[in-house]
Amino acid sequence: MPKRLINLTVNGEAYEVAVEPWWSLLYTVREELGLTGSKEGCGTGDCGACSMLVDGRLVTSCIMLAVEADGCQVTTIEGLATDGNLHPVQQAFVEKGAVQCGYCIPGMVMAAYDLLRRNPNPTLEEVRLGLAGNLCRCTGYAKIYEAVLAAAERMRGD
Amino acid sequence: MARETLERTGFRHVGRPVDRIDATGKVTGETPYGDDLRFPRLLHAKLVHAPVAHARIRRIDVSKALAVPGVEAVVTAADLPSHRINPDVRQQTLLARDEVLFYGQPVAAVLARDPYAAAHARDLVEVEYEELPAVVDPLEAMREDSPLARTSAIQEADRSEEQGHITIEAEQEQAQSRPSNVSSTITFKRGDIEAGFAEADAVVEGTWRSAMVHQSYIEPHVTIADYDANGELTIWSSTQAPFHVRHEVARTLGLPDARVRVVATEVGGGFGGKIYLYEALVGALAIHARRPVKLAMSRKEDMLAATPAPQAVVQLKAGMKADGTLVALQARVIYDSGAFPGAPVLPGCLLIGGSYKCPNLDIEGFEVLTNKVSVGALRAPGAPHVAFALESAMDMLAQRLELDPLEVRLKNAVEKGDPLPSGQPYPAIGLKECLEAIARTEIWQQRHQTRQRPNRGVGVAVGGWLGGLQPASATVGLNADGTVNVTVGAADITGTNTTFAQIAAEELNLPLSMVSVVTGDTKTAPYAGMTAGSKTTYTVGRAVKLAAEDARQQILAIASQRLEVPAEELEMEDGVVRAKGQPEKQVTFAELGRLTTGFGARYAPIVGRGAITARRQAPGFSAQVAEVEVDPDTGEVTVLRYAVAQDVGFAINPKSVEGQMQGGAAQGLGIALSEEMVYDERGRLLNPNLLDYRLPTTRDVPPIEAIIVEVPSEEGPYGARIVGEPSIVPGPAAVANAVADAVGARIFEVPITPERVLRALGKLQD
Repeated sequence: MPKRLINLTVNGEAYEVAVEPWWSLLYTVREELGLTGSKEGCGTGDCGACSMLVDGRLVTSCIMLAVEADGCQVTTIEGLATDGNLHPVQQAFVEKGAVQCGYCIPGMVMAAYDLLRRNPNPTLEEVRLGLAGNLCRCTGYAKIYEAVLAAAERMRGD
Repeated sequence: MARETLERTGFRHVGRPVDRIDATGKVTGETPYGDDLRFPRLLHAKLVHAPVAHARIRRIDVSKALAVPGVEAVVTAADLPSHRINPDVRQQTLLARDEVLFYGQPVAAVLARDPYAAAHARDLVEVEYEELPAVVDPLEAMREDSPLARTSAIQEADRSEEQGHITIEAEQEQAQSRPSNVSSTITFKRGDIEAGFAEADAVVEGTWRSAMVHQSYIEPHVTIADYDANGELTIWSSTQAPFHVRHEVARTLGLPDARVRVVATEVGGGFGGKIYLYEALVGALAIHARRPVKLAMSRKEDMLAATPAPQAVVQLKAGMKADGTLVALQARVIYDSGAFPGAPVLPGCLLIGGSYKCPNLDIEGFEVLTNKVSVGALRAPGAPHVAFALESAMDMLAQRLELDPLEVRLKNAVEKGDPLPSGQPYPAIGLKECLEAIARTEIWQQRHQTRQRPNRGVGVAVGGWLGGLQPASATVGLNADGTVNVTVGAADITGTNTTFAQIAAEELNLPLSMVSVVTGDTKTAPYAGMTAGSKTTYTVGRAVKLAAEDARQQILAIASQRLEVPAEELEMEDGVVRAKGQPEKQVTFAELGRLTTGFGARYAPIVGRGAITARRQAPGFSAQVAEVEVDPDTGEVTVLRYAVAQDVGFAINPKSVEGQMQGGAAQGLGIALSEEMVYDERGRLLNPNLLDYRLPTTRDVPPIEAIIVEVPSEEGPYGARIVGEPSIVPGPAAVANAVADAVGARIFEVPITPERVLRALGKLQD
């Protein structure tokens, strides 16, 4: 089977990529575009470490085929900081001690970013619900909850 | 987050919460992990995992796999370069040769130019097996008429991984008179057990079972190896133990240590599961292929064939006097070691008899071989299993005697000087202080109101860990611009390099921004033991402190010459050395940097050296309290509130320390409520994925309150003691005790699934 040519806009940059039909979006972004911030933790869509935004929707990119993303706008963890400044979600993760081994963090930050876009003023319980698709094995989540609530506050400008 | 001790005097950096120095790289996705590294001409390895638990290999046909485009080689045991083979040691059984010992054991490796081709070809390798009886249940395995889990008896067990986590001397018996699946036993006795039970006013007994659980780091194992034209083997591995890996790989492949370089890549979670596993195999594959080879395990492969934590069965009988004095503990502790020896029998036996003062002990431990994947360390290996039994029994005794369960624990808690079952006395420890901290929590204070509400309850439990001991070294160098580099050989998983920056900055009285810390590889770094056994800050931290003190003395000596002021009359602050009371007499670190590194410099470079050996443990204890709600119709248990108090000696970075306590406690909740590797009767793992193997999610874990308790250790830097492991230990028992408190039914098996709750409530029969 020949490779398929697809068009992706990733973090604002346009790419034309030749992909095998069985390549995942995650594999394509990591191996073909060299954006290795998104991680594979399970390959079955259960851990959330590969979370990206595709046309504004949070997806587990390990179970999305690259060809399905043809023509889509993709935002990965590399696209969050602007001009070298951390996004408030990233900043809060650093300050609240929400980062340990860090492997889940790109996906966790993307999920938190997506949650706060949809709900700028979440309660603790809404944060817990919103991040339920992202596993972290190190932190016990307590400092992640604190970070997301702090980021929400900062983004609202309270 | 409340803290027991917040007031610090005399310290500028240590004892204060600090952001991790590596956090920005991690939140932006820039930090490279092993799978993010790029190598030219790389081959991707995929392993053929045996689909049977116990079998003889009759034939392997690789022809179809070799025909797949992109495949460069298919390697079986017979094709591997010559190496040391020991069928008793998992890591020296690179590929199964004649006998398959567990479901998922690697039988062959496919090397291909891309991972998809490797995985496709892997499925085309044909292996003919002659199935042998599979031994799955450890109690069945102990019966005299049980089939044997392996056809040859164990001659030489490797216990180095266990010793990395807990370093203590005790006799572990291995000799056997007849073939058996019991690969080792341990016995501890004290006093007169029968007399102890005779004087008890209450005696309880039970059998507690804990499931096999997986460390479930989010980053699966990844190892890359390259063998170059100079005959040097370099290994990049997400290992916690670079120097251990170097020595073991060198020993196994017949190379000098000096010809093996191990680069510890960023560890995406380890928890004891990333000590040493496939590095020698990948090294051998790279030697075979003469190209760089990467083995990145998928989640399924990792769950099938890494080294999870053992299943255990603990039979315990305990006796207590009416006043709450514990007088007798009799235990039979059985760990299922899987296909190779290496189960944590020793720590289990030490801790079941070493958490409370008890004059009469009779403890027997058994390591049993089965045809399941061989086990490894998981945070306080063996300890949650025995704490589940012991701490459940303590609650049962308190209930029987109508005593307060927390008071009963306080009355019997071990203190400095009390002996472990081995006879070794405890150094300073803070178990009582942890219990007192938990007694002050809202969860505990409000327990009577909580119980008024239907199906709600509160449970308390304690647990501890003794800690590993290995030597460590570090260097502290002054750069040309006056900044400082700290070099260590320990992999940083928990934020230890941030802690080392605090220590060096403290000793040199510098802002943190002037200190940089690096973990070198095994060719460049000063030696450190493995990042395991909770000992990195306790041991390497001491070495860093000594190295910084040494650098300080060297700086003062040169400054003294330059300023013509005796060293003892000098002080340093923010990179400036000046004479006390004469601030105009000063020299900066930057000037000293130039004077020790520049062309024709007058002085030798400043290199502080710190090297220590650690012979005395600094055990850590934790007390925890859970408030739960049980749904009487579904059997579901919800943890509503949770608090962990832990004695950490001195929290150099309280932010990291709290994170360790919360993270470990959450792992304890996973063991308590949801995690279980399920094997069928033929030894096949039924749930090798993160959907059916349930890790705690944000919906399961409430914000855990962390209470830092500080009883200084005798030898740790600033009094710090072990931190990482103790927090995982009490969880299963705390939850079981809370469930019993809520609904009056005691669960003797973790995880406490809805089904087990309904059975205990008599709502579900077979």
